Amino acid sequence: MNGAIEKANAEPRWLRALLLFLGLGFLFFFLFVPLVAVFVEAFRSGWNAYADALGDRETLHAIKLTIIIAFVVLPVNVVLGVAASWAIAKFDFRGKGLLVTLIDLPFAVSPVVVGLVFLLIFGMQGLLGPWLEARGIKVVFALPGMILVTLFITFPFIARELIPLMLSQGADDEEAAISLGASGVQMFFRVTLPKIRWGLLYGVILANARAMGEFGAVSVVSGHIRGETNTLPLHVEILYNEYNAVAAFASASILALLALVTLAAKMLVEWRMRRENEALDAGFLPEGGISFPSRP
Amino acid sequence: MIEISNVGKRFGNFTALDGIDLKIPTGELVALLGPSGCGKTTLLRIIAGMETPDAGKIRFAGEDATRLHARERRVGFVFQHYALFRHMSVFENVAFGLRVKPRKERPTDAEIRRRVFDLLKLIQLEWLADRYPSQLSGGQRQRIALARALAVEPKVLLLDEPFGALDTKVRKELRRWLRRLHDEVHISSVFVTHDQEEALEVADRVVVMNRGRIEQIGTPDEVYSNPASPFVYQFLGNVNVFRDRVQGRWASVANETLDEAENGAENAETNPVAFVRPHDIEIEASVVEGAFESTVKDVHTIGPIVRVELVHETELIEAELTRERANALSLSRGQTVWFKPRQIKIFNVPGNALEEGGSGI
Repeated sequence: MNGAIEKANAEPRWLRALLLFLGLGFLFFFLFVPLVAVFVEAFRSGWNAYADALGDRETLHAIKLTIIIAFVVLPVNVVLGVAASWAIAKFDFRGKGLLVTLIDLPFAVSPVVVGLVFLLIFGMQGLLGPWLEARGIKVVFALPGMILVTLFITFPFIARELIPLMLSQGADDEEAAISLGASGVQMFFRVTLPKIRWGLLYGVILANARAMGEFGAVSVVSGHIRGETNTLPLHVEILYNEYNAVAAFASASILALLALVTLAAKMLVEWRMRRENEALDAGFLPEGGISFPSRP
Repeated sequence: MIEISNVGKRFGNFTALDGIDLKIPTGELVALLGPSGCGKTTLLRIIAGMETPDAGKIRFAGEDATRLHARERRVGFVFQHYALFRHMSVFENVAFGLRVKPRKERPTDAEIRRRVFDLLKLIQLEWLADRYPSQLSGGQRQRIALARALAVEPKVLLLDEPFGALDTKVRKELRRWLRRLHDEVHISSVFVTHDQEEALEVADRVVVMNRGRIEQIGTPDEVYSNPASPFVYQFLGNVNVFRDRVQGRWASVANETLDEAENGAENAETNPVAFVRPHDIEIEASVVEGAFESTVKDVHTIGPIVRVELVHETELIEAELTRERANALSLSRGQTVWFKPRQIKIFNVPGNALEEGGSGI
């Protein structure tokens, strides 16, 4: 670098080089190379084969199903996540600690176990299965079951994002709005929602990525009915098991693309959030503030 | 007129308020003064309807408001950290209370605009209407927060440590400004502070609180020069505390007040304690009738005043002199001087009552 002045607390140069090499090397071999490999494999037989693979009826159906699930799951989770965060951040009640722990449950349980639990509850041998069957409602091995497990799996993303945000913002703004005569609804839409919108969007982006990419739980409750209950990740597995590598990687490339879009959106939102937090630090927070619990 | 009668509030095992009785006459500016944890903010929030009392009643102009929702109380609340809506411009912040009114009461856009600009003119910040809160200084934000609270024409204005987040110079300017504003709009106002100087300078009436109770209510002059309890004495300014000295040589100085103290001394558990303000101590360079001999331990010049630490026998005494007086005496460390209290106040105090709060020596 430029100069003889070394910071007294800096690490030795060789250590910095080593750490940098290890970190970047890991990123390169474990993240970047596989990502490139997906696209290389997908286009191995040329653009036409790629387009054909994606134009396949079953592939299109899998894409459609994946989008439908995300479309149903996200709004529900937005409402539930905001409600849970609101309850935790603004009220004190018995069992609050338990609720906070329960919100993290989907992160702690293996998705396959989640799928099995839903099978146990809604399946034919399960608790509610026969009752539902008698009324002609099909949950397991059908879309409703897949939506339910995806709801479960993606629930924590929004709440985990909003709880620390709402705690740090405190309730002063809301109290000010109420004392100025605002109703609860007016307060929420005019004061609270604008304050949490970027955090909410961040949670939605992460939840969306997971909803579209979820494999384990959905796999268990889907029943793998081709052209009916296969989402994109399940479809990729089936194609791959059939040694249809080009089609499998073509479908996988869509998921990889989704990942890239997610990362870009995440960066954009993070940048916006940082800017708002800087405005916040310029005098909106009480000194000392409240520490943020770490993200999962 | 706001009447608070016998209000109590507990948080778990902590008694925040205990049997509070207080009347706030219309148009007065009242300060709730006390150390942190004394319950002053809780009382303010109960008046605002943001907390519900466990016991007691709140009446606004004779009407029971104890169970009235904060939305319906017509109370303007100003927060220590402003609580401005940071995604709205200054104009929209001030207009908020008017915009959220039910449709049939809501003024027209032109009317809202007129009223907001009237308020911004009142606080002399109309040139900031299009700015956002993050672009304003702390003092400006607090004035905007005040205008926002006034926009809904509240019956009472409540301010929670309104100058607490500002630096000393701005704080002094802003509290004078608040006093002038109050003289202009004459709305009943209650503000919470832990800064005795602020309370004494701004308020018509000071309510001194300690441990969930009211210690004294009076004009700033009354509470300062005639404190009702040792706590008030210690909390309002510096004070020298002399224990177990009243029967001894101090008695001769304090003869007049001693009678008063003995009247209350039926309880054997209490002992009389003398309080003397540092600025009520005179220092002479030579022997004077009734003065005590002492040694100068230290001399600090703090702006216009000179603080002198004296040692009398084993006791440390703090005195405050004007710069002129100190210069005339030309005090130096180790020098022997004579001091004489001009004014002494004696209270009968239970053994442990002097430990908390205040700045006694």
